[in-house]
Amino acid sequence: MKNTKFIIIVGLILMFFATACDSKLDERDGIFEASSTDYSKTENMVLPMLGSYERIYSRGWEDFPLLSLRGDDVNAGGLGDQQDYTETDLFNYNKDYWMYNSVWQNMHRDMIDINANINEILKFKEYATGDEIALADQYVAESKVLRAWLQFQLSRTWGKLFIIQTNSPADDIANGLKTKEEIMQYISDLMDEAIPDLADMRPNERTDIRGGVTKYTALALKAMANLELKDYQKVADATGQIINSNKFELFDDYYELFKKPGKLSDESLFEFQYSDYGTSAGNSFNYLNAFFGPQGWTPAISGAADGWGFYEPSMKYIKFMLTRGEVVRLQTSVMFTNRGIDELNNDPLFATLPAWVTNTTPDGDVINDYARAKFASGKNYLPSNQLTNGRTDYGSGKNMHVIRYAEVLLMYAEALKQGATGNAITADAAVNLVRQRAGLNNITGVTLQNVMDEKYAELAMEWGVRYFDMVRLNMYNELSYDGRTFTESKVFLPYPQAQVDALPLE
Amino acid sequence: MLFIVTVSYSQELKGVVLDENNIPLPGANIVCTNSNHNAVTDFDGNFSIKVEKGEKIKISYIGYRTLELTPTFPSMTIVMEMESNTLNEVVLIGYGKQKKADLTGAINTVDGKDISRTPSSNVTAALQGKVAGVMVTNSGAPGVGADIKLRGVGTFIGDTKPLFVVDGMYYNNIDFLDPSDIKTLNILKDASSTAIFGVKGAGGVIIIETKTGSYNKKAEFSYQGYTGVQNPQNVLKMANSEQFVTMAYESGSQADIDAVLSAMQRYGRSRVNPNIPDVNTDWYKEILQQSIITNHNVGFSGGSETVNYLVSANYFKQDGLLSVVKNEYERMNLHAKVEAKLSDRFKVGGNFIFSNATQYFAENGVWNQIYFAVPILPIYDETNEAATPIRYANAKDIGYRGTQNPFPTLKFIDNKYKKRSLLTSVFAEYQILPEKLTFKTMYNGAYRPEDQRKVNLPYTMGLTSENISSLYVANSTGFDQTWDNTLTYNNSFGNHNVVLLAGTSYRDEAGNWFNGSGSNLVNPFDSDGWYLGNTELETRTSSSGANRFYAISYFGRLQYNYKDKYLMNVTMRAEGNSKYTKNPWGYFPGVGLGWVLSEEGFMSNSSFFDFLKLRASWGRNGNDKVPASAGANQIYPVSLPIDDTQFSGTYVESTYTDFEWEIFEETNAGITARFLDNKLSLDLDYFVRDTKNAIIPVYQPIVSTYLYQNAGVLRNSGLEATLSWNNSINENLRYNFGLNLASLSNEVVDIYNQDYIDSGSAEFRQRSMEGEAINAFFGYEVAGVYQNLSEVSADPVATTNNLEPGDFRYVDQNNDGLINDDDRVVLGSYLPSFTFGANFGMDYRNWDFSLSLFGQTGNKILNRKRGEVIWTNDQNMDADLAINRWHGEGTSDSYPSSKGLRKGWNQKMSDFFVEDGSYFRIQNIQLGYNIKNLNIFKTSTEARVYLTAERPFTYFKYNGFSAEVFNGVDSQQYPVPAVYTFGLNVKI
Repeated sequence: MKNTKFIIIVGLILMFFATACDSKLDERDGIFEASSTDYSKTENMVLPMLGSYERIYSRGWEDFPLLSLRGDDVNAGGLGDQQDYTETDLFNYNKDYWMYNSVWQNMHRDMIDINANINEILKFKEYATGDEIALADQYVAESKVLRAWLQFQLSRTWGKLFIIQTNSPADDIANGLKTKEEIMQYISDLMDEAIPDLADMRPNERTDIRGGVTKYTALALKAMANLELKDYQKVADATGQIINSNKFELFDDYYELFKKPGKLSDESLFEFQYSDYGTSAGNSFNYLNAFFGPQGWTPAISGAADGWGFYEPSMKYIKFMLTRGEVVRLQTSVMFTNRGIDELNNDPLFATLPAWVTNTTPDGDVINDYARAKFASGKNYLPSNQLTNGRTDYGSGKNMHVIRYAEVLLMYAEALKQGATGNAITADAAVNLVRQRAGLNNITGVTLQNVMDEKYAELAMEWGVRYFDMVRLNMYNELSYDGRTFTESKVFLPYPQAQVDALPLE
Repeated sequence: MLFIVTVSYSQELKGVVLDENNIPLPGANIVCTNSNHNAVTDFDGNFSIKVEKGEKIKISYIGYRTLELTPTFPSMTIVMEMESNTLNEVVLIGYGKQKKADLTGAINTVDGKDISRTPSSNVTAALQGKVAGVMVTNSGAPGVGADIKLRGVGTFIGDTKPLFVVDGMYYNNIDFLDPSDIKTLNILKDASSTAIFGVKGAGGVIIIETKTGSYNKKAEFSYQGYTGVQNPQNVLKMANSEQFVTMAYESGSQADIDAVLSAMQRYGRSRVNPNIPDVNTDWYKEILQQSIITNHNVGFSGGSETVNYLVSANYFKQDGLLSVVKNEYERMNLHAKVEAKLSDRFKVGGNFIFSNATQYFAENGVWNQIYFAVPILPIYDETNEAATPIRYANAKDIGYRGTQNPFPTLKFIDNKYKKRSLLTSVFAEYQILPEKLTFKTMYNGAYRPEDQRKVNLPYTMGLTSENISSLYVANSTGFDQTWDNTLTYNNSFGNHNVVLLAGTSYRDEAGNWFNGSGSNLVNPFDSDGWYLGNTELETRTSSSGANRFYAISYFGRLQYNYKDKYLMNVTMRAEGNSKYTKNPWGYFPGVGLGWVLSEEGFMSNSSFFDFLKLRASWGRNGNDKVPASAGANQIYPVSLPIDDTQFSGTYVESTYTDFEWEIFEETNAGITARFLDNKLSLDLDYFVRDTKNAIIPVYQPIVSTYLYQNAGVLRNSGLEATLSWNNSINENLRYNFGLNLASLSNEVVDIYNQDYIDSGSAEFRQRSMEGEAINAFFGYEVAGVYQNLSEVSADPVATTNNLEPGDFRYVDQNNDGLINDDDRVVLGSYLPSFTFGANFGMDYRNWDFSLSLFGQTGNKILNRKRGEVIWTNDQNMDADLAINRWHGEGTSDSYPSSKGLRKGWNQKMSDFFVEDGSYFRIQNIQLGYNIKNLNIFKTSTEARVYLTAERPFTYFKYNGFSAEVFNGVDSQQYPVPAVYTFGLNVKI
């Protein structure tokens, strides 16, 4: 009897103790996470993907100039304000200069935001069914390409960096600094990981996000990373795969390629899209092209605004092009002022210039002399007659090319000349495709030097391709022009002071 | 019934011996003075003894004052009074009790009697100066409890308030509790003692036991009450019109001079001094009032052999110090507590408190307005016809930028709160093995709805100052539940005494709220219509929300002592809390060791020590009064062009952290000693408390934002000493004296490689730097005032900054010949480095007297009111500043000139605005007269009448209203009044 009672009591007590259960620990009313989103609406999965494109398209105006300034194709454009921008062009770096920190931050932050968006896509994926699952994987892969592009640009500019793989910088910092080689290898591997999930089409063939990243964008980026790694066979394989797809074609009109008619052409592997939506007022989404524009002009369509005059094609480039007898690509790349033409004439070699060299563009915009520079960048110019009626901002609605098929062809040619085996066309054929579009004769027996010259001519003022080519091939003498002296110590920008203060960068 | 007088010489006396809290005392000795008949009380405190005629009985019990009484037949109830300093006193620890002699941590006890000396709505106010290491900052606002900090500040962003455990239930705020309902209050200071409370224990724990009935006691009626006045004290003297006008003229500011001229134009010239306006408003005098505070508690309690009960009702009312506006607090409480023995081994009980309070608040901002309003403005201005419904004077009429007059702010705002609490608990306790193994289960539910209704009435002041009516209503409900189950095993094995506790606790904290607002009430001056339905439809807004957290804990404790010589207390709590998503589980151990040296052979010959114990403890607990996360984890819509068409996308703000609770670890070492026949007692404690993972803002280098993270380390350390002396000179005269001292050092140990963390506003910078106190005031040091032109021209700093005589000269800390940001230094901390409390008590025959003192030093106060001259340089200032300003060579080397006051150079954050916050106070004086055996209702009645003066005198140098300032920033502090009351306690 006594025992029974005891058992009952112990049983009761155990019951009491056991009732406290852990499952409630997962409940938390009233904490609203980002997940007030209904992830079961998988049709909204595209929203974070588009958000990542928005992140990468909305570049700070200082990003492009700082990344692309240091080659022998372009100069800072006179003195005046932004002294340290000019000094950077002269390879005198100041780690306290705001632009360094700003570009660093803009691009790092975008990588983090893209990673956060990847997490959102994965949340939708949990509810995805059928084709949506593959689509989710594709979006994640696309996001990786976008992020890798940022990481690529940053590492070419600063060298050793943290690889941003998460949306929590602390975790990435904890993984430590990686050398540029490690980062390039990481990008190449990341592209291999992404490629199977990406759409097998030209970007402009996509219907969900026209102009978005595809398999070929990833292949091109993989080639670029391997070019830095001097793994030329991988370059040749990746670019050869693009060529063999037969999906890409150079846009006929090199001049219009950089204008509205060239938007999302068959030549484009990656392009930042901007638009004023063809409306005279209201929303618009633009890069701040005014930075590139001439400081004074008489536009064909009056009222079109001019620019700040900061991005000046170099005299070296112009003379190089004139010597080659280039017309189309020079006229597209450079806008002349009379002052610039006069200075060219002062050189006996260029005392007489072709008649087309004037301060009037093919579309009739007249570039007036201005203090800061003698030339302006034509690839960043949109003729005033292409502006949407009512829009006056310089270059409003103009896209920005990021990776073009021409660059792919020339990377392929270079890889072959560096000893790789090609699986597509010959190096000669690749170079000649580019030359034909530029209105030049075919050449045979292409040399490495021919390829690099072709790249110089073709890709000037585009993302510093020229600078990074010269650095990578140790052709420092090319960069030591117009009184500059380039040495190995100048390859990378110094880490911004604000980042040195805050990060374990040593 | 026929009563037969016995003729026998001896008579049988039955009785029960209880302690002060009506708990039976088993084992008390009863001896007859002549016959030496003796008896011992049984487990329920009952005894029975044969008493010869004419002799008295003597009752003794260890730790209690021995009584010699004349027997009253046939039975009597004997209440024994605890001897102060006793080490047998039982202290409440988490989920149990322990003899004071066995403690190894730092625990202080405050008796209900000492609490009731302070007339206040909230027990927190009564703790000021009573316990070393407890920092109390009072507020004078009606019904607002004091801010309490135990052993410094251990968090950057969280709350540092201690946990209140009232009859087993957890509260962050005990404003519902009538202080006169409290029996004892135990303050658990060190982490080994609070570890059993897990994530709730970081701020220290205050365990409160409310009064209770007693078994075998006839019903007793009691009344406790007081009524008195609250008197604004140390009222800040502001500049009068004459001083103000002098300052205005000396300022060199034409606008200010013009305002004086306009005032003379509008209000006339003073006949005494025709150069000042015929207005001299002392705004404090006009607005401050004496007000009433009153408290009544009636109740009855008692018990049979198997049931005891207590029922009480309490009414408290406190008016505010502000006239014109409704600022008051009124509370009605009902309390019922019952306990029943179903058998010798089975006990059940319940406890219910219902509290219903109404509180009216004045706008905090009005304290600023009163301070800044110029004395040359009258309250009313009959010529201001544009002002409706009352013709208040408008300072804009004489050229000032604002209306200034504080009266409309007081008059036209009605801000009411209804705060109700229903607190319930039931328990059952069963002795599985009698006296050895006990199981207890207890459920607590606290239901706490709160309603707010704030009405802004419409008024105009003229000159574009128009205020429309608006209404804001908010309802919120909190419902917290806990369910605790404990098993306690208590046994002795020879010299080994063991108490083992194992338990679980399940907690559910839920809350929800709704609020709404609207403007343009239909009939704004009719309070019957103060509902949202009467506001303009288009202006209405509303919102609602809820939160709910669950926590599950498992805990255990081992209390062990060997021969009362070697002591050990080990506790562990594992707690899972749904609030923290990253890691819901935390583990909180505590261990304490004690060595009672006086029990050792080698000490037994020492007559100096009656008791000597060394103790050391270590423990860890958590602070869950920090948010669960920081940063926006939010989705933002964006748009972008895809193929020249606008698309929508989203991105997630990714600067987001899930927090963990902050972990506090503390080491405490102490001595407990009794000397001189137990008359003198000493407790010494040294502690080091570290917050291991304090949440701090961390600069995010890559994204350049600040993100809060568990990444800081804070340290509080200090020495606490409590001395008390108790003596009885003879039967009629007893006295006691107590002193408590505490030092505190607060230090930021690690802020994650950052140079500093800024707080405060940019104008009034506070900064946390490694090696300095948290949120230290940070700015320039004033070296003096430039007295003449040659001093100015001799100093390049003065010439480059275009300074003049009457401007500050700052200390060039880095001697670089410049005064710039680099010359800023830490100007002090708001935390006092030293506090002391002293008390003296005396009983003589029927009289009792007590006095307590309190003081603190080492802290600084930012006089932000003076500092706000940076934004409002055309308003009034305190008289000290007006009188002692620099106004010519040699007049002042610490205050700038009137002109200088308005200059940015002199308005930099400096030690001119950061003042010494030390103060000394006579905390409480009470004089009581006790009337015993008053036969009013043919039954023995006891009464006590008393007079109390609470905070009658405070001395400080600080140029403000009160040196008692929350977190050291004096901007809108409701000053603390002196209170004088008359009180009466009756027991029937």
